Amino acid sequence: MDTTLHPAIEVRNLTMGFADLILLQHADFEVKQGEIFVILGGSGCGKSTLLKHILGLYSPMQGSILIHGTPLNPDDPSAYQAILKTFGVMYQGGALFGSMTLAENVALAVEEYTDLPDAAIRDLVEIKLRQVGLAGFEDHLPMEVSGGMKKRAAIARALVLNPKILFLDEPSAGLDPITSADLDELIREINASLGTTVVIVSHELPSIFSIAHRVIMLDKESRSIIAEGDPKFLRDHSPHAMVRRFFNRQAMQKNTQAENTHAENSTP
Amino acid sequence: MTKTAITQPEDTSFSFTQDKACLDITLTGALDQNTCPALLQAIDQAALPTAMGTIRVNLQGVTFLDDFGVLVLLHIKTQCLSANGTLTFLGASARHKRFLDMVYEEKNAAIPSSMSCHPGILEHMGDKTMTMLLDTRAMLTFVGDLCLSMTTVLCNPSRLRRSDTVIHMQRVGVDALPIVALISFLLGLIMAFMSAVQLEQFGANIYVASLVSLSMVRELGPIMTAIIVAGRSGSAFAAEIGSMRVAEEVDALTTMGFDITIFLVLPRLLATLCVLPLLTLFSDLFAIAGGLVVGVGMLDLTTHGYMVQTVNTISLDDIVWSMGKTLLFALLISGTGCFRGFQVRGGADAVGRATTSAVVTSIFLIILADSILAVIQRYWG
Ligand SMILES: Nc1ncnc2c1ncn2[C@@H]1O[C@H](COP(=O)(O)OP(=O)(O)OP(=O)(O)O)[C@@H](O)[C@H]1O
Ligand SMILES: [Mg+2]
Repeated sequence: MDTTLHPAIEVRNLTMGFADLILLQHADFEVKQGEIFVILGGSGCGKSTLLKHILGLYSPMQGSILIHGTPLNPDDPSAYQAILKTFGVMYQGGALFGSMTLAENVALAVEEYTDLPDAAIRDLVEIKLRQVGLAGFEDHLPMEVSGGMKKRAAIARALVLNPKILFLDEPSAGLDPITSADLDELIREINASLGTTVVIVSHELPSIFSIAHRVIMLDKESRSIIAEGDPKFLRDHSPHAMVRRFFNRQAMQKNTQAENTHAENSTP
Repeated sequence: MTKTAITQPEDTSFSFTQDKACLDITLTGALDQNTCPALLQAIDQAALPTAMGTIRVNLQGVTFLDDFGVLVLLHIKTQCLSANGTLTFLGASARHKRFLDMVYEEKNAAIPSSMSCHPGILEHMGDKTMTMLLDTRAMLTFVGDLCLSMTTVLCNPSRLRRSDTVIHMQRVGVDALPIVALISFLLGLIMAFMSAVQLEQFGANIYVASLVSLSMVRELGPIMTAIIVAGRSGSAFAAEIGSMRVAEEVDALTTMGFDITIFLVLPRLLATLCVLPLLTLFSDLFAIAGGLVVGVGMLDLTTHGYMVQTVNTISLDDIVWSMGKTLLFALLISGTGCFRGFQVRGGADAVGRATTSAVVTSIFLIILADSILAVIQRYWG
């Protein structure tokens, strides 16, 4: 199949959630090839869960997900494996293997999927770790490095096989502004030089404005996508007050309803 | 007018007066974390009239009010106010406004959750049955996965992670040797000692050797070793895999395209399969040594006599049968440990439960399998 014609990810009529908690209903969106796509939303609105649906780790309650035009179906192992080979994933908590050094973590997939000699693998791992600013920490265990360093090592691990689609769950949370900006630069470079599609969950407004081609915003209350498009445009022109507030970093106005309904009660 | 002083010297106090439809309450002093419990108690003890139409709370003398003070006001509201009554605050300063607003806010309807409602007995039974059925299904899926991965690895041995397997062999086998040896030695010692008391009466001392070796090789060796390994390694498997689940490491492995059964389960399973029979043989040996110490030291048997009697008692069939049993136990221990690990959802407490459950389930399965095998052996062998 010619995969270049299809969007990288198509989500069709997706309803997702857990036993008695529905997070998203009848959602439709697509991620085009080669774009940097950001998923936004308040804490706990289901961004990580959406990501895990796209990765095939959870099965949707309804609807379907297509990757480069191929339906995502974990019950068909060979097709699913083929799709997974195009993915690089960084989980929100890093998810480094605790019993392996950073270098071993990064090398794991290379050893499995390529026939490179050991020396070449070592060099590759060093290059990747240097890209994320972790040169010299090859032999540290995950518990011996800081939280931000763990994140960066996880990004290096996600990048190591030059995936077609890179998923990053809150990559810059917990990083200082400079490292965070370096990371944005790295993501932009990878996207530009390799044409990698990047799907990011992020709250960092500066980083969203500087790298995102397109964003979607999930909303917990309405269980739907309340905004889709260019972040700068949405900031100024979204019909949703909530979206504008999010981008302008304004607090929710204090709910005055309670006072109004009890007006007869309250004459303090 | 009833007045209750909460603190010395009357910093915080609570008093109320009541006429027909109106309740006047006066609060003074600080309403904070320190005074809140005593105030709540005082309100309860004062037996305030309920379902009043109007309540006026005088806050003139209140020097400090925070969320704990709100609790006191909320308590007054729920205790005394009728459905359409009014609650007013007098003399509140501007600083207190934010907290007084909280008193007027309705409680949000709780987010429905399966935990919060109390299910009836039928619902409870249905729930348990469903859980059990799902558990069984998951277990069957796990076994199926395991068989598939086994065939994959048999066809293509390079896919097995050898270094991991060797590490697990060391942890399950070599590291367990001292404790297995000690327990078996003492077990042999005790068995010889106890049986000697009886057998000595008949001058049948030499049969101590038969008793120790036969019971050890046929039953106790495999069972004791399996239980020790279940406690040491079955629990470790569950905890390792469980915490990998919690830290999303299992998800990471899956999305990196690894077959998690081959990656995580097979090394543990094969390692246990390899070393458990060896451990059992060691256990038999050490128990016989324990019996020997008693036999030679207390019963005036010769080492040579004891060993000859031992060798004559045990047949090769016994050993083969016990090795077969041990292999089954090894499957049960490692399978249960890994399966419980994969079932972990949530956090650290789930890992704890999985660990406990792994040990309990595998010991239960070991004893069950042993009993079934004993019956089969009796009528078949
Ligand atoms: N395995 C699970 N079982 C049941 N409920 C879950 C599970 N995982 C997440 N949830 C619930 O789903 C909701 C969304 O969780 P999710 O982790 O996707 O949020 P998020 O948008 O990534 O938030 P954050 O920005 O804080 O990372 C939460 O309310 C959470 O309680
Ligand atoms: Mg998240």
